[in-house]
Amino acid sequence: MNLLDYVPGDSFLHKLNPVMKLLAAFLYGIACIICNNVIMELVFILLMILISSFAGLQKRALRLTKNLLVLGLIMFVLQLLFVRTGDPLLVIGGFCVFTVGGLMSALLLSLRIVATMLPLMLLFAITRMNDLCGALVKRLHVPYRYAFIVTTAFRFVPLFTTEFHDIEDAQKARGVEYDTGNIFRRLKLIVPLFVPLLISSMKKVDAGAMSAQLRGFNLRTTQSGYHEYPFHRCDAVCLLFLAAVLAVSVAGMILIK
Amino acid sequence: MLKFDHVSFSYPGMTQTVKDLSFEVHAGEVVAMIGSNGAGKSTVSRLANGLLRPDSGHVYVDGEDTGKVRTSVIAKKVGFLFQNPDRQICQNTVREEIAFGPQVQGVPQDETEKRTEEMLQTFELDGDWFPFTRSRGERQRIALASVLACSPELVILDEPTTGLDYRECIRIMDYITGLSREQGLTVLMVSHDMELVQEYAQRVLVLTDGRLVGEGPTGRIMKDMSVLGQAHVLPAQIPMLALRFGEKFSDVYTVEEMAEAIHREKAAEAAAMKNGRADANTIADTKHQGANAIAAGDKSGNAPDEKGARS
Amino acid sequence: MIECKEFSFCYKGQEQNALNNINLVIEDGDFLGITGNSGAGKSTLTYAFSGIVPHHFPGDFYGAVKVNGRDTVDVQTEELARFVGEVFQDIDSQMVSSEVEDEILFGLENFGLPHDQIGQRLDEVLSMLQISDLRHRQISSLSGGQKQKVAIASILAMQPEIIVLDEPTGELDPQSTIMIYDILKRLNEEFGKTIIVVEQKIMILSQYAKRIAVLDEGNLVFDGKSSEIVDQQPLFDSLGISVPRVVRLGNRLKDEGLYSGPVPTDVDQAEVMVREVLGC
Repeated sequence: MNLLDYVPGDSFLHKLNPVMKLLAAFLYGIACIICNNVIMELVFILLMILISSFAGLQKRALRLTKNLLVLGLIMFVLQLLFVRTGDPLLVIGGFCVFTVGGLMSALLLSLRIVATMLPLMLLFAITRMNDLCGALVKRLHVPYRYAFIVTTAFRFVPLFTTEFHDIEDAQKARGVEYDTGNIFRRLKLIVPLFVPLLISSMKKVDAGAMSAQLRGFNLRTTQSGYHEYPFHRCDAVCLLFLAAVLAVSVAGMILIK
Repeated sequence: MLKFDHVSFSYPGMTQTVKDLSFEVHAGEVVAMIGSNGAGKSTVSRLANGLLRPDSGHVYVDGEDTGKVRTSVIAKKVGFLFQNPDRQICQNTVREEIAFGPQVQGVPQDETEKRTEEMLQTFELDGDWFPFTRSRGERQRIALASVLACSPELVILDEPTTGLDYRECIRIMDYITGLSREQGLTVLMVSHDMELVQEYAQRVLVLTDGRLVGEGPTGRIMKDMSVLGQAHVLPAQIPMLALRFGEKFSDVYTVEEMAEAIHREKAAEAAAMKNGRADANTIADTKHQGANAIAAGDKSGNAPDEKGARS
Repeated sequence: MIECKEFSFCYKGQEQNALNNINLVIEDGDFLGITGNSGAGKSTLTYAFSGIVPHHFPGDFYGAVKVNGRDTVDVQTEELARFVGEVFQDIDSQMVSSEVEDEILFGLENFGLPHDQIGQRLDEVLSMLQISDLRHRQISSLSGGQKQKVAIASILAMQPEIIVLDEPTGELDPQSTIMIYDILKRLNEEFGKTIIVVEQKIMILSQYAKRIAVLDEGNLVFDGKSSEIVDQQPLFDSLGISVPRVVRLGNRLKDEGLYSGPVPTDVDQAEVMVREVLGC
């Protein structure tokens, strides 16, 4: 199961307006960016996992957290080595490896990355791409053309992945050594993969465009969409909650400074 | 040449697609594998050339366990013609495309060139063509030429009829079965076109839900209604017709044979009428023997017969 | 109704005409099968019906193609789409959505069907093709036959009078092939749709189509009732098109003077023929 796939459900989170979900993910992310305290970042991460468990998504959230932590770790190491404020913490042979300031800011940054990205990633689990774009067109009057491009791009990812694997198989079957140990040879052998992929993609995109044209793509307006995406009371509740999160984050920033 | 020994396989997170499958394809044989979409045919063919490795059991190609050698090594022995030639074609000219396989397999340059020219001629291809804009039939021929340029010992054909018209399909099948007769090439064709299977295959494997539900000489399978029913294929017409007449046409598989058998029946009938004392038993006997004699003399001749009818 | 009058077309940049002087009239309620070898111009002809030729693929266009009296060169594809719906060869790439319902909605929304009618139309089409249970499924999870049904449904939803399909069963197994043709037959007989289908397998056309047109290198070489194709074996043989084996047998017995009745097109009819010949 892909980590960005939609998970069907009818929880409180699923029922939110797609525009609200997007806004929520952004606001929550902003709160995490503003926040300048390691403990609070941790709280935000745990809170997000708790919230996703209401939609039965705790497993997904934990897996995402784990994956994001890998990214966080890379940032942690970089930050640790490059930030040089505060007292030296580890000195080897007269050379200061990292400092207190470096450790604190590395810890904060890596957690902040996890906390900020988590809600954005979880957005895909509770929102179908089509609903998100439909709502953006209907409610925010985003031009349909752009929304269509985004949904199509997302839809093509798995199609192209399959196509890519099939092409790889076809090339392997004629003896192209993708299983060779030599990295440079392997890189050279990428060409037979990309030429067919490019050609088949162009064909697919053209066929898709033709089919869309025949079905009146050019006639579409922002009001064409059948689904309405109204806002409900739960959306207001969600907004209030986010205001609270933001407030806490800002207060924390001011007080702790 | 190819041996499956209690092979099971499943894609990660899916139910088992191949279950305890055992069969053998001997050198020089033309064997067809039939079954509906989703019966596991593609999986079996990918197991046969090392693109997939079995979860349990063993697949042997020319005596070598595919689990123990690299795919690129197996590829030297097994040629695979995919349904869609566009996944294979990656070079700027037809000549380069055909030479690409032998090149990556380390065939010496002069030998590669020789084979390439040979293939261009056999398949009536222009070496300077830009392959991507040719017709579907031509692209399939280019793909086949590049597969055969590697001089494989076993060729796997994945649904050779898809996207090809009958004429092109016959051309490809004629050529491949010719190679099989003359040079002992082993062929495994995956198809649900029973007319094609009947014309070209000597033996048939029937696959349903990843299991082998039938296996035998083409003639027998063609008339095995229960097995064909399980495979969800449309039976070939003439064997079906013959089946409706029971013993009378028990060895009839092709239009030629059917027409001849009808002639024989008429002749026997006329003879009986002439003798004036029609003895049902005698007539039946003569017919039966006649039919057997035809079948015996025609075991290997199914395909040539049909080709005669076509031209 | 579709009328092609002395219609020729040459794709931009090509030397040879894809189609040559085609004269063809397709009446309302017809079930026309178009067959021929690859490269014969079958797809190009279907493109001409829906206006893709010349609007999407430019080129030299001679003669006229009229759909319900409208010249396809003069009107936009969107205008033609009210009368003609086309299902393309590649099932996957013509889909515009990831979910079945959205796929069917796409055309309806674009053409501005009032929203209070959309729900009903959706239900109608889903039940016509008996795919109501697939409504909320992801298209990527469907089988080939199911995808083809969805593609047909999304065209059908726009209620065109004419439905054009380019090799709808090319990648399907025999069982799904028959299922799709049974649907086309129902659409033709029960709902009065005009069906135009490109198909390699003459056997299936002879069972389902009312009329068959044969193209060869851009020329229309045969156009007649599907029952007449049994007399065209020499033509098909010369083109290298496969003729059903029972037709072959029937023609042979006829040539030999053993049989004089109608040439069979399926095994049941062939059985009757053989019994007649043998007198049993």
